[in-house]
Amino acid sequence: MAATRPLTVCDVYDRFVKGKKVPESEWDYTVIPQNATKLKEKYKLKFGSETIPEDKQTMNNLFCAGLEMLVETGYYCQDLGRVMKVTEEEVWEGIKKTPTKLILGEGRDIARFYPRHGNSPVKPIIQGGPTGSPISEEVFVQVMQSYAQEGIVDDLVNGVFTSIEGKKAKTNTPYEIRATMAELRATKEARVRAGRPGLGV
Amino acid sequence: MTNAGHRITDAHECSQLNELKMDMCGLNMLAGWTTEGDTIMVEQMPIFGGYCGGIEETAICDVATTLASFALFSGNFHLDGPIHIRWGTTTSKETLQIAAHAAAAIDANTDLLLANQYYPMAGPCTEMCLIETAAQAISDTGSGRELLSGSAAAKGVVQDKTTGMEARIMGEAAKAAAGMKVSDLNEILAKIVPTYEANYTNAPAGKTFQECYDVLSVKPTAEYLQVYDNAVKALRDFGLDIKH
Repeated sequence: MAATRPLTVCDVYDRFVKGKKVPESEWDYTVIPQNATKLKEKYKLKFGSETIPEDKQTMNNLFCAGLEMLVETGYYCQDLGRVMKVTEEEVWEGIKKTPTKLILGEGRDIARFYPRHGNSPVKPIIQGGPTGSPISEEVFVQVMQSYAQEGIVDDLVNGVFTSIEGKKAKTNTPYEIRATMAELRATKEARVRAGRPGLGV
Repeated sequence: MTNAGHRITDAHECSQLNELKMDMCGLNMLAGWTTEGDTIMVEQMPIFGGYCGGIEETAICDVATTLASFALFSGNFHLDGPIHIRWGTTTSKETLQIAAHAAAAIDANTDLLLANQYYPMAGPCTEMCLIETAAQAISDTGSGRELLSGSAAAKGVVQDKTTGMEARIMGEAAKAAAGMKVSDLNEILAKIVPTYEANYTNAPAGKTFQECYDVLSVKPTAEYLQVYDNAVKALRDFGLDIKH
């Protein structure tokens, strides 16, 4: 049946609330592995030695298996302990709603984020940064600058402050929020120092 | 300062949980960002050898969670990162294969924007770290990904062990690999990956940012530049034509 519309975040929440209750251990140790194995067998998936697949049939079979995994298994909300369901039509509506072009950053420093398809001669966007690695607050600006100043880098990704004003940036404390805000300020300073204030983050 | 300086063209990141799971904290953040029209990146790093099981099963879950990023969570692009349960890296043969197959499968069937992140075993200022990073860049580029994010050297867990030089090799390897025949890239990967996987158990820890750069001028040391040149030469010998 055709989808009424693409799902919103609130639609997803409503479905979680009405979803079937499943113990998390059953989801982790039974539902996920059993369904993944069943679909591997159904679609006869065996990757062989190639790192990057070269045959279209393998790619299409894997796509169908992944789509079926999402539709048949559903999706789990850890806090509610419930499973929501989504139809294949709704997945496709969500895909259709997703922008296929994005702009990261601003001004002369933007990166154009467009589909490449296959091994296009167009280089992927290079998002440079510590990718969540722990960084001392004393050198955070310099570490981020070391990425921003690289000509091959098109966009940035933060590291995380290990401390803020000498205090540990502990999760679920006000220091975590203070540290996150400081990361944003420091990353801006790094972009400016590198002469690329518009770089996306 | 509006939005604490985070612009509408900067990415807001929400992580899914392993495997095919989300929590209320993630949903609540997404509710705010979608209302504001922010750029949203949804992350998920499937664990090879974890709840999913083997290579093909993990790739199936990878495709499922990538689709969920868009269909359930209104993401604008997906950040992948299959991780090896024993090694904690994204550069192992198995995790490269999972990421490449998942990306190629989605790329062949949609226009969705796909990214991957980098967790090599070795630390900065080592040839192994640079070659691991380059190998993943070859694999991600060849499988059609649009954005490469990294690199979290030393598995992203040691303080101050990441630098811009690792992003340089990630970008240069991607640039060299873009447009090459996939069969040629597979041949190069078949040569490169075993060379560093053999050293996973005694990988060099590398150096901190403060040891790799002059902290005041933010220039890499002569030592690191030499290590970089050595790594580029090795990659050229493997068949990757990195220019300049």
